[in-house]
Amino acid sequence: MRERPGTPEDAVQGVIPRLVLEPATVEEAAEALCRSAADRMAVTFVGGGTDLGLGGRPARLDAVIRTGALSRLVEHAPADQVVTAEAGMTLGALREALALHRQWLAIDPPFSGRATLGGVVAANAFGPRRARFGSARDLVLGVSIVRADGAAAKGGGRVVKNVAGFDLPRLMVGSLGTLALLTTVTFRVHPLPETRATVLFPALEAAQIWGLTSGWRAAQLEPTSAAAILDSDRFDLGVRLEGFESGVADQTARLLDLGRKAGLAGERLGAAEAEGFWRRHDSVRENGSLRVKFSAPPSRLPDMARGWLPPVLGELSPSGAVLYPTLGIAFASGEPASSAAGLVAGLHDARIAVIAAGGSLVLCEAPVAVRSAFDPWGTPPPAIDLMRSLKERFDPDRRLSPGRFVGGI
Amino acid sequence: MSERTSLADLARRMAAVVGARNCFSSGPDLLTYECDGITHGRTRPDLVVLPGTTQEVVEVVRLARASGRPIVPRGSGTGLSGGARPVPGSVVVALSRMRRILEVNLEDGWARVEPGVLNLDVTKAVSGAGYYYAPDPSSQSICSIGGNLAENAGGAHCLKYGFTANHVLGARLVLHDGKVVDIGGTSLDSPGHDLLAALVGSEGMLGIVTEVTLRLLRKPEATRTFFATFPSTDEGGEAVSRIIAAGILPAAIEMMDRLAIVAAKAATGLDWPDVGAALLMDADGPVAEVEDTSARAVKIAREVGALEVRLPKSEAERQLMWKGRKSAFAAVGRISPNYMVEDGVIPRSEIASVLREIASMAKDQGLRVANVFHAGDGNLHPLVLYDARESGQEERAEHLGGAILRMCVRRGGSITGEHGVGADKAEYMADMFGESDLETMKWVRSAFDPECGFNPGKVFPSTALCGEKAGPGGRVLHPAEKSGEVERW
Repeated sequence: MRERPGTPEDAVQGVIPRLVLEPATVEEAAEALCRSAADRMAVTFVGGGTDLGLGGRPARLDAVIRTGALSRLVEHAPADQVVTAEAGMTLGALREALALHRQWLAIDPPFSGRATLGGVVAANAFGPRRARFGSARDLVLGVSIVRADGAAAKGGGRVVKNVAGFDLPRLMVGSLGTLALLTTVTFRVHPLPETRATVLFPALEAAQIWGLTSGWRAAQLEPTSAAAILDSDRFDLGVRLEGFESGVADQTARLLDLGRKAGLAGERLGAAEAEGFWRRHDSVRENGSLRVKFSAPPSRLPDMARGWLPPVLGELSPSGAVLYPTLGIAFASGEPASSAAGLVAGLHDARIAVIAAGGSLVLCEAPVAVRSAFDPWGTPPPAIDLMRSLKERFDPDRRLSPGRFVGGI
Repeated sequence: MSERTSLADLARRMAAVVGARNCFSSGPDLLTYECDGITHGRTRPDLVVLPGTTQEVVEVVRLARASGRPIVPRGSGTGLSGGARPVPGSVVVALSRMRRILEVNLEDGWARVEPGVLNLDVTKAVSGAGYYYAPDPSSQSICSIGGNLAENAGGAHCLKYGFTANHVLGARLVLHDGKVVDIGGTSLDSPGHDLLAALVGSEGMLGIVTEVTLRLLRKPEATRTFFATFPSTDEGGEAVSRIIAAGILPAAIEMMDRLAIVAAKAATGLDWPDVGAALLMDADGPVAEVEDTSARAVKIAREVGALEVRLPKSEAERQLMWKGRKSAFAAVGRISPNYMVEDGVIPRSEIASVLREIASMAKDQGLRVANVFHAGDGNLHPLVLYDARESGQEERAEHLGGAILRMCVRRGGSITGEHGVGADKAEYMADMFGESDLETMKWVRSAFDPECGFNPGKVFPSTALCGEKAGPGGRVLHPAEKSGEVERW
């Protein structure tokens, strides 16, 4: 197994590991965990490194285990629409492999080119198509893991329907490397759509976005994505429809009609403009030394836009925000404008309001000064004792990403 | 573990909590609770308790645990894997009195319900407003939401819409020590481990759920259904593969073989022809898209060699077609004195060859197998027909059922697609999972319930102590354990 001393490039939230291990096979991955166990090393798993800002600063970090060399496609069964790949394979590489069979994995998080499958699962990373296809939680069918004690284990399977045993694959989603190292992942994949269209409704008020969202739901339209990008004090709403030509053309026309009836001028974007819109979206998700995720019941969208985002956005310059109206999720990003104290105060205000609505506010990326004054996850949830109990069983010595997760797990 | 209190004493205390009418340890009522939908494995519990509120569940759990008795949670008792089968000396906690729909929020698309609410009643409560609850197990008019959650129930339409796991947003759970904890919620991505992932499909082994928040979906604008017949399951399987390969995602695509068709006809009086295979497909979604995909699928069915394609002329006719499919299980009772239903999964592309293998295995045992299945996701429901009066037939049927499940695993599939492992399939888990896989799952269980007093004897192939390592390759159950006379939790 390749190994080398850690460098500043290997740092996780500023903490540089002593050692970097780069397993190239599942066996080597098990060896890396066995060695970590024997030497009592605290380890963090790094895939594409696209979500390392998520969660708290590591309480201890001796070694980083990089999964980049664990990147083989294990099996793609196009007729069964399932794919198994090693966890270090990038989403980009998987897309290329699947596209040969006119299929895709319908998860489109930021940094899709370099985000790895294991990282996407561990961070529950997602993009606009979550509106129709769900997140990794809805598409993962099976996992192979290496546990803290170095033993390999698996859960789930390689078929789309399976309820044998406890659901380890879903349990891994969003666990941020606190329970085990993912070594292979099996996903359900979908046929690539025959065609796609993006309809843009520019310069909407928050209430208009919610009105339109409710409208297309009432009209039984089924877009695959909906994202509203903040532009000064208004939002540009992009709605993407994908599928067979006939259905997409019909839904596009009906969506435009719904807009017209509400007095909103929309337009179907050309291919290049549509690409431009979604690139703008990606840029909000990918840029900024501060990135914050808001989640609340979807109907609170007007509060989200007018009440909860502004205290944070007001402390950023430049700043950006994206709202997913069908999900109830928003992201704000940008550069801290003045003092960290002002930004922390804004984050506090926003979090209190979001929590009161039954939601959550989580830091996805933040400068150290903000992090040290503001818990990236917030007050632990009511079920924190069960999470600690789970952690205790999977990782009794607290060596897997200690300190990064909720409640200091 | 504390000393076991006397049953009479426990029954008295339980009755004080839930009322004398809702607690019994003898009499004809007890019979109902000796088994679930799998009636051949019966075990008498010590006590049956029917709490009516979360607080009553808390007290019932505390009393039962303090008495040293295992708890067997139960919904409607329609399960098909023995998941609600009592173990000797257990307290069955039936949630059937807790059947209130507590809150509905259509704007945000959810309903908060008690676990005893029947699956179909959720949809009935919101269908007037154009919403529904997607998972639709065939037993949906009698099975409960709590049971659905425990077994991660599926149904014909989960090919497109997913399982119970994809439609539960939150749950209130009573733990082994009587603590009440809320998991998940009405917004997405609550920070922390995804405990709902552990809970849904945990077969009653983590605690007792007393409230569930379900995702509600807007009804699709249109549904187009067609029924097609084929000379054999080879062509039927080919049609399924080609429809999927064409990029069509049917809401449901179901297949029946000759014997299942015969049975369904006998039960419903439908005028289905005598053919080797029949396919029933639903496409749903926005009307223009559905018209298009449905027409494409029909064209494929014809190209592959469909003998006949029927399009229902009315909603009533469509419902009748589905009734034929959904009644196929019970209908098999018309053509055989006894039958066992299996629930294996195989890669969809292998349907035709797997069916041939099943036929040949059945022939070797001198038995008949009717096949009804969710073809789109490769979920087979082979119905092994036998006559219990004939000496040795039941054993041969069991043997055949087991051999079919093992074949599913060999083909890269699963021993259960939607019925759960329960008590009946536990011994096959070792065919699918290794020692460390099962050990890892046990960690999840013991994280919630360190003494493993909830629903012992289910899922895991060995009833070895909680969290203890399983023997290599799993352990063959002692006959006394299998019959439920002995327990080792």
